[in-house]
Amino acid sequence: MADIKQFKLPDVGEGLTEADILTWHVAVGDVVEVNQILIEVETAKAAVELPSPHAGLVIALHVAAGETVDVGTPIISIDAAPGATVRDSPAADAAVAAPPARQPVLVGYGPRTETTARRRSRTETVTPSAHAAFNVPPPDVESVDAPPVHHAPAHRVLAKPPVRMLAKSLGIDLGTVAPTGPNGTVSREDVAYAANGGAPGAPAAARGVRETRIPIKGVRKHMAAAMVSSAFTAPHVTEFITIDVSATMQLRDRVAARREFRDVKVSPLLFVAKAVLMAAKRTPEINGTWDDQAGEIVLKHYVNLGIAAATDRGLIVPNIKDADAMSLLELGQAIAELTATARSGKTLPADMTGGTITITNVGVFGVDTGTPILNPGEAGIVAFGAVRRMPWVVTAADGSETIEPRWVTQLAVSFDHRLVDGQQGSQFLSDVAAVLTDPGLALL
Amino acid sequence: MTEHVHAVHPEPDMVQLLTPEGQRVEHPDYPLQITDDEIAALYRDLVLVRRIDTEAIALQRQGELGLWASLLGQEAAQIGAGRALRTQDMAFPSYREHGVAWCRGVDPLVLLGLFRGTNLGGFSPYDHNFNLYTIVIGAQALHATGYAMGVMRDGAVGTGDAERDTAVLAFFGDGASSQGDVNEAFVWSAAGNLPIVFFCQNNQWAISEPVTTQSRVPLYRRAAGFGFPGVRVDGNDVLASLAVTRKALDDARNAQGPMLIEAFTYRMNPHTTSDDPTRYRLADETETWKLKDPIARVKAYLTRQAAVSHDFFDDVERESQALAEHIRVGCRALPNPTPESVFDDVFCDMPDELREQRDEFVAFVGSIEEVTA
Amino acid sequence: MSEEPKTPVTMAKALNDGLRKAMEADAKVVIMGEDVGKLGGVFRITDGLQKDFGEHRVIDTPLAESGIIGTAVGLAIRGYRPVCEIQFDGFVFPGFDQIVSQVAKIHTRSAGLVKMPITIRIPFGGGIGAVEHHSESPESYFAHAPGLKIVSCSNPSDAFWMIQQAIASDDPVIFFEPKRRYWAKGAVEDAPTPLHTSRVVRPGSDLTIAAYGPMVTTVLEAASVAADEGHDLEVIDLRTLSPLDMPTILDSVRKTGRLIVVHEAWRNVSISSEIAARVQEKAFYSLEAPILRVTGYDTQYPPSRIEEEWLPNVDRILDAVDHSLSF
Repeated sequence: MADIKQFKLPDVGEGLTEADILTWHVAVGDVVEVNQILIEVETAKAAVELPSPHAGLVIALHVAAGETVDVGTPIISIDAAPGATVRDSPAADAAVAAPPARQPVLVGYGPRTETTARRRSRTETVTPSAHAAFNVPPPDVESVDAPPVHHAPAHRVLAKPPVRMLAKSLGIDLGTVAPTGPNGTVSREDVAYAANGGAPGAPAAARGVRETRIPIKGVRKHMAAAMVSSAFTAPHVTEFITIDVSATMQLRDRVAARREFRDVKVSPLLFVAKAVLMAAKRTPEINGTWDDQAGEIVLKHYVNLGIAAATDRGLIVPNIKDADAMSLLELGQAIAELTATARSGKTLPADMTGGTITITNVGVFGVDTGTPILNPGEAGIVAFGAVRRMPWVVTAADGSETIEPRWVTQLAVSFDHRLVDGQQGSQFLSDVAAVLTDPGLALL
Repeated sequence: MTEHVHAVHPEPDMVQLLTPEGQRVEHPDYPLQITDDEIAALYRDLVLVRRIDTEAIALQRQGELGLWASLLGQEAAQIGAGRALRTQDMAFPSYREHGVAWCRGVDPLVLLGLFRGTNLGGFSPYDHNFNLYTIVIGAQALHATGYAMGVMRDGAVGTGDAERDTAVLAFFGDGASSQGDVNEAFVWSAAGNLPIVFFCQNNQWAISEPVTTQSRVPLYRRAAGFGFPGVRVDGNDVLASLAVTRKALDDARNAQGPMLIEAFTYRMNPHTTSDDPTRYRLADETETWKLKDPIARVKAYLTRQAAVSHDFFDDVERESQALAEHIRVGCRALPNPTPESVFDDVFCDMPDELREQRDEFVAFVGSIEEVTA
Repeated sequence: MSEEPKTPVTMAKALNDGLRKAMEADAKVVIMGEDVGKLGGVFRITDGLQKDFGEHRVIDTPLAESGIIGTAVGLAIRGYRPVCEIQFDGFVFPGFDQIVSQVAKIHTRSAGLVKMPITIRIPFGGGIGAVEHHSESPESYFAHAPGLKIVSCSNPSDAFWMIQQAIASDDPVIFFEPKRRYWAKGAVEDAPTPLHTSRVVRPGSDLTIAAYGPMVTTVLEAASVAADEGHDLEVIDLRTLSPLDMPTILDSVRKTGRLIVVHEAWRNVSISSEIAARVQEKAFYSLEAPILRVTGYDTQYPPSRIEEEWLPNVDRILDAVDHSLSF
């Protein structure tokens, strides 16, 4: 039966993807032999003769002299078994596999010119997974002098680097955390769970249960240690002042209405912070530290302002670095960011070190004042109480006195009496009070 | 383009035993005892080797080979040298010595794998005492030298035992004679008086660079500078190539030390199938060398001598057709290597990490439904 | 006939003894290189061998590194087991082509039918007050190539045994000898450890330090100081640079959680780069700290007067230990 072979224009070894047809050396009806020259084609450089891969009868010529033809185009059909009688399945036999279009080079087929910008279909997924990290290679059974079989020794806790960092920032020992991640690893959730005292929330004490025991660990443990260290090292003296902050409250309203403060929470705390920063400049000892080991008092020429923040896990004191160099707007933004970060539990250890003076806002709880404990290493801490409407004696210009409702609050400052003496502490507190009473004084 | 006339004029000091017209001539230093039957056998070698070359070029044009390094015009140099070798001698080719491979009994299909991309060599050097093709220019000259050092240490030189005394034949081209490795091989061979013959096929061109780019003196005279003899032969004369190589190998076997043979011949075809010689040489140069065709002169001699029967040339032609078919069919059937084989032959002793990579690669290839060929 | 030495010997002597044993065990072993015969080598590593084994087996070669390696290939094809000496690390490069294009490839090119049981000995490393090109650490160039195996001894016992194992290997081995330690003394053990294994030379719990060649001694010195400072370091002598012994390294890192790699070679694209990549891939969950590297800087080797600070030393290593432990 007929055995039709198609010859497609091959790469001709001259670095091209097309050729011009010059001359046919055969015609339909000719009988050709293998390697007989069929056709002459022209490349950019020279004429090339193409030898026939097949012997047989020329059935058809598919291109004409003068045409430009791409590589891979069928140019001739040859019946390798002519004289067949039965006409059954038509031509399309396995044509001479024309090679894919490639740019031939001196030393080989050359690079492929077709693109493969798609994933090919697969019989099965053979993708390595994170679990491959746990493979211990099997012992080499073929090598006669192999060392004793390596069993992975009992290894320390497994956790990804970011999880380790989280645990460290929360002061949690990974070894005490129950791992529920894949392959025995400690996950982020495991650490958060452990930081919560191992419970999602305080368990409701059922009637009849007399006690609930909460392990002392994590943030609470560290905070407790810090407080004890501070309270029993630095002699604390606390001074109080009650002030009329109406002017500050009016200023607050005017500032909050300004366009640049549109996205920032302008709270009274912001102005207290600003007043503290200004006053600390005049009394640098309150921003210093008692370095017992070095035998020095260190006065710092920058203020890293700590804001005590209550979180689910307890009290933390992140600080704003170089707060004294900030504008009111920048300070407001920094306080907002600090608060948000603390609330979401993402405060970094670096944010909680290096503070130089702290404000604790007891006022948010509705409390008037207190005797705050110094953040270890600092010499001053200001407690800012609730701002209330209170009766106040107001003296008119002519000396007459009236009782008026005013915005009133209490400020307390505890200071380290080793390096801050009474006069300095009082001076600092009264400076803060003065700015908050009459904000215009800040212009001086 | 500069004119290259050196290739056209007849060369002095060239050993020739059969002129381009097919006339036997004598050379005082190289008497050759050879029968007409033996010359007929050489004719058959020449025709079949040329046919292999022709088929391979056609296969490349049909996309079955990535490239082919044609030896057209150099058949006589290679058959003469190849037939001078004894079984126990070792040959170190470059990558164009298909004629020497033929003489050593290497199936031409085995050579095709390297050019097709189905293997990196494809045969054992020990099977036929013919080393794998070496593509880095001139590197094999040092390998041959080291092998000759081994031959000496085996006591297989100068014993007088024709079956035992061994020589090494190192092939390279005119371009390679500039490479450091070839010159170092000359240094070592001379200093060690090694049993090695250097066979340089000066086919006048190293891709596009004429031999005058490589050397100021005729190549055979380079040996003198290193301290051993050199001789130029007519590389298109199979009898001269045979006689001179035979003598050189015998001398080497007899502990006379190294020799350089420069076979003065011509690369009729491009460097490889993707080269374009029209960019650097004139067609009339090739036309001139056609007049010195190595096969035509042997045919002329045999015909003039009435040394063969009527059927002889037809028989050889028929054999050539059969060989061509064998090559065409065989080439298309050469199998692709397996994925594992890429890894299995890196070391004698596979390290664990490599084994893991192999398993990963085998799994990957196995998972692709349509592997890119 | 030589016996295994029991008293402490120098590394140079240990290598000499190991070479002698290898020559006695297999008549196909030949030693070849510049000045290895009559002179016994510029470091005397091959002292006395030509006298005992003859010029045919201990060969003074012409001054041509490509020739040394290329003829070794030919000898290997003929069935010999050549041991090449490259006189100094900085002079291996003329032979680089024969090493990576031929020695590394012939086993593959021949589909496993031809073996290249060649050992290439290279004295390497600095700290000897030398002029240019004599203090290099080129191991990375070779470790990158498939088909080569790369090892380095750090002490006389390993020198004695590893050189014999390298010669006996049917694969090509590049054998880096720490020239600054040639005169260091040590006892030779009775039995060898498998060639391509690393060894924990000082067990510890706080941190793993891996090193090879000349730096093993320096790292052990640093570990001793660290112990006084309260840090317990585990020291690994890598010994095999390609292939790496990953199980030993990984077991240690899983135990300590911290890794430092130390070598004289340049930092960029080095053995430590490869180890760091593999360890973070396979022991990701065990890492307490990033993997640190104490290496030569990415400059040319300095003039010898200031080489001590350029090379890793006890202070730089301990700084890295402190840094790792600070995480």
